[in-house]
Amino acid sequence: MTVVIGFEGSANKIGIGIIRDGEVLSNPRRTYITPPGQGFMPSDTARHHRAVILTVLKEALEQAGLKPADIDCVAYTKGPGMGAPLVTVALVARTVSQLWGKPLLGVNHCIGHIEMGRLITKANNPTVLYVSGGNTQVIAYSERRYRIFGETIDIAVGNCLDRFARVIKISNDPSPGYNIEQMAKKGSQYVELPYTVKGMDVSFSGILSYIEEAAHKMLSSGQCTAEDLCFSLQETVFSMLVEITERAMAHCGSQEVLIVGGVGCNLRLQEMMGVMCKERGAKLFATDERFCIDNGAMIAQAGWEMFRSGQVTELEDSWITQRYRTDEVQVTWRD
Amino acid sequence: SLDVPFPSSREAAIALNSLSPDREPRKGGISKQLTVSGSTRWSADEARILRVSVNSFLDHLSLVMETMQMFGPPVSQ
Repeated sequence: MTVVIGFEGSANKIGIGIIRDGEVLSNPRRTYITPPGQGFMPSDTARHHRAVILTVLKEALEQAGLKPADIDCVAYTKGPGMGAPLVTVALVARTVSQLWGKPLLGVNHCIGHIEMGRLITKANNPTVLYVSGGNTQVIAYSERRYRIFGETIDIAVGNCLDRFARVIKISNDPSPGYNIEQMAKKGSQYVELPYTVKGMDVSFSGILSYIEEAAHKMLSSGQCTAEDLCFSLQETVFSMLVEITERAMAHCGSQEVLIVGGVGCNLRLQEMMGVMCKERGAKLFATDERFCIDNGAMIAQAGWEMFRSGQVTELEDSWITQRYRTDEVQVTWRD
Repeated sequence: SLDVPFPSSREAAIALNSLSPDREPRKGGISKQLTVSGSTRWSADEARILRVSVNSFLDHLSLVMETMQMFGPPVSQ
């Protein structure tokens, strides 16, 4: 049996999870929630993580019913993400790894999402749509790399949604994306927005500027409601994501789609992707908010695969990095 | 320069290993040297840069020490 503890804190969530051979033993998490209209800044987010990380670690061990001696490897997020929060989490991971005499393992955050999605859904070799506040990528596995077939050329889809939520002062609790999803259900009028698919890639910054301006004009003049704008934004950006995912599937001859990342728990996105999959005779795999949204178990799971294939990270190589592409990682645990 | 007392050289070494891997975020104008048996020494071009570096070092150090208090002592090697 191999037990891995995973530390995640690359954005506004801090999570610590423990995995024993594919079984999630514990996975506590805290979210740094800012007031409506405000995003989360790196230093404030790091301060939040700093304040709760040791409590979360204690919870993770207690809920799993394990002692430090039962753990085989300490995995943490090496990147990508915001520098200050990443350092905070890495410091604790490095320290306990030495205190407990267990090997350390730096994990790519994106790989964590993919491996957790594969574990939970049992998808074998899916085309992966990874959508969150910081990343938007269509990924397929080939020759020991998760290769990026398409991605955003500017901001992430979740960042576009979050920043729109800030403009019209939607609550960030539990997350801006969740609240947009609920409001979109009450939208009835479709407001046409730019549709920006560029080959295999997508762009969201122009859509954001456009809807920011439209929001000010149309809401004050009563031409549409905030709910209509939420609905229109979701329909537009999700259509774009479904389009590039379908193109990647056609290219790879793939019959499976896996949606991961925080935006991946949006049921409207899952529904639209489901329609596309049905038309192609493909299967859709998705997870709920426990595993879609950043969490510690996903780092533990990717760490478990890496550790079992013989990888460890020496302390002097355990620096964090804000930029770390999915395709930089040699996938030593798959054929 | 700054001296930080630890219960033993083992704990001091753990703290050093935890605090060393990340380089200063700023590309130039500051350098920092950590040692187990001596002081942590800074040299910086400007007081402003030095203040930021020392501040974040102290934040990091206190997190590492708190972690050692809660999840230590280190297992025997």
